[in-house]
Amino acid sequence: MSDTVATAPRRNSSGFTVARIVFDWGPPALTFVIVAVLWQLVAINNPYVLPTLDAIGNSLASDPGMYWANLLVTCQEVVIGAGAGIICGFLLAVAMSELPIVEKAVMPLIVVIMVTPVVAIAPALVVAFGFGMLPKYIVTGLVVFFPMLVNSLAGLRDVDQKALDVFKTLHASRWEIFRDLRLPGCMPFVFAGLRIAMPLAVVGAAVAEFVAAGQQAGLGSLVTIAAAQANLPVTWASIALLCLLGVLLVSLLALLRKRLLWWSDEDVIGR
Amino acid sequence: MPAVSHLQSTRTAYPDDIGVEVSNVTKSFGGDESRVTVLNGVSLTIKKGEFVSLIGPSGCGKSTLLKLVAGLSEANGGSVSINGKSVREAAKDKAIGLVPQSPALLPWRTILDNVSLPISINPGANAGRKLRDPREILQSFGLGHALDRYPAQLSGGMQQRAAIARAFVFDPEILLMDEPFSALDEMNRDQQRMGLLDFWQSNRKSVLFVTHSVPEAIILSDRIVLMASHPGRIAEIIDVDLPRPRNEALYATDAFRDLEGYVRSALRKVMEAARV
Repeated sequence: MSDTVATAPRRNSSGFTVARIVFDWGPPALTFVIVAVLWQLVAINNPYVLPTLDAIGNSLASDPGMYWANLLVTCQEVVIGAGAGIICGFLLAVAMSELPIVEKAVMPLIVVIMVTPVVAIAPALVVAFGFGMLPKYIVTGLVVFFPMLVNSLAGLRDVDQKALDVFKTLHASRWEIFRDLRLPGCMPFVFAGLRIAMPLAVVGAAVAEFVAAGQQAGLGSLVTIAAAQANLPVTWASIALLCLLGVLLVSLLALLRKRLLWWSDEDVIGR
Repeated sequence: MPAVSHLQSTRTAYPDDIGVEVSNVTKSFGGDESRVTVLNGVSLTIKKGEFVSLIGPSGCGKSTLLKLVAGLSEANGGSVSINGKSVREAAKDKAIGLVPQSPALLPWRTILDNVSLPISINPGANAGRKLRDPREILQSFGLGHALDRYPAQLSGGMQQRAAIARAFVFDPEILLMDEPFSALDEMNRDQQRMGLLDFWQSNRKSVLFVTHSVPEAIILSDRIVLMASHPGRIAEIIDVDLPRPRNEALYATDAFRDLEGYVRSALRKVMEAARV
């Protein structure tokens, strides 16, 4: 009984050569350079359409403390609001997959809320909960709740039937099936849900700030105020920071996924 | 044949040597109008330490029969017992080892952790049982070098071998194998077959083995249960009185070829009868 290993650990034999770096980073870098040049051309000739990139940079450099404070507020909304939305979405998915009655009872309501535009709910929430942070948490949480719920539920249901048969013949308890089969098995779906939810969380936080602009800090609030004053450098600097926050969240998620879910990828690389 | 008589003498030494008893089992699917009888009055006994293969045309209900014995499906009539207990009780005692058609290993666990799984599941049933060391059993299945590897890093044959090790590790009373080698290519399949034969011959357990392959059924089994379809039923039970321990050399013997010819013609008769 001896046969060879089918998939030997595959390594990048070339490593970090200069050619590799140019090949990997060259094309996207070129795209960014082209866009930046076009941007500058438009901005220089139409100062009321776009600010120049150096004007945006100067604005950021001249008052970093102000931007930092607003960034932190938006971050706080994303972390608390989206965190709560993610946890609630996942827990409800677990309840639905374990107890069909829960799904039957709650799903119609979920659909109704899901098709209601969150942007439209935001002003109503501000009326109900005031200009504090709470309505912002709720809006951000609502936005991420549905992708998390739907994806987690799909993942919990997408269980390997043959593996489930093995668990059943061992007379595994529901808890054991959940702990050792459903929960780890649903993680690729959960991460797919997070991949959708993370950019949405930034959208949710910004939208919530638009509604109550000026009452609280935050980058979305800053965008609204600066735009009203036709201050394009501040407007675009805030937008750039919102964009950066989204990129950061998605990158962190990709890193986490690589560490935790390498087994679900097509070709598994030996460690 | 001395080996056979020796076998039988050890068997008759136990008065309660019945491992699995399937009596007059009926199973059908669907509603009143479209009701399809998949198994009709099937009775079968598997002795302790006996290797029994189920063979037959597709649709004869052999996988359904295996599912009934595994407790994954309920019979409409008749009864199944394992060591004199109901299938449910037997499952509670972790008396059933299942090797499904696909290896069904958990991709996020190493091979060692996959094979250790049945020990950690339902731990209450571990008392008074001869659990095997997962490392040792993987060693004897030729996977000693792959303990810390993940399923996706192994070939299909090695994955299936790990799935078989997983079924043996907790020392169940009966092993149920549902065409475990059907997804492998022919050369690989023969290698895995021999691996299973070797291991089983030194670790006798009752086995119910579903297969499509006549040579596979002969080389592994003590008895071959030939099933017919529409409705699924037992057509014939064929004793394989070839000496043990067996190995590849058996394929080339006249006794093997004669038996293979006999099983094939019996199978053909069953299939022709179904066509009429």
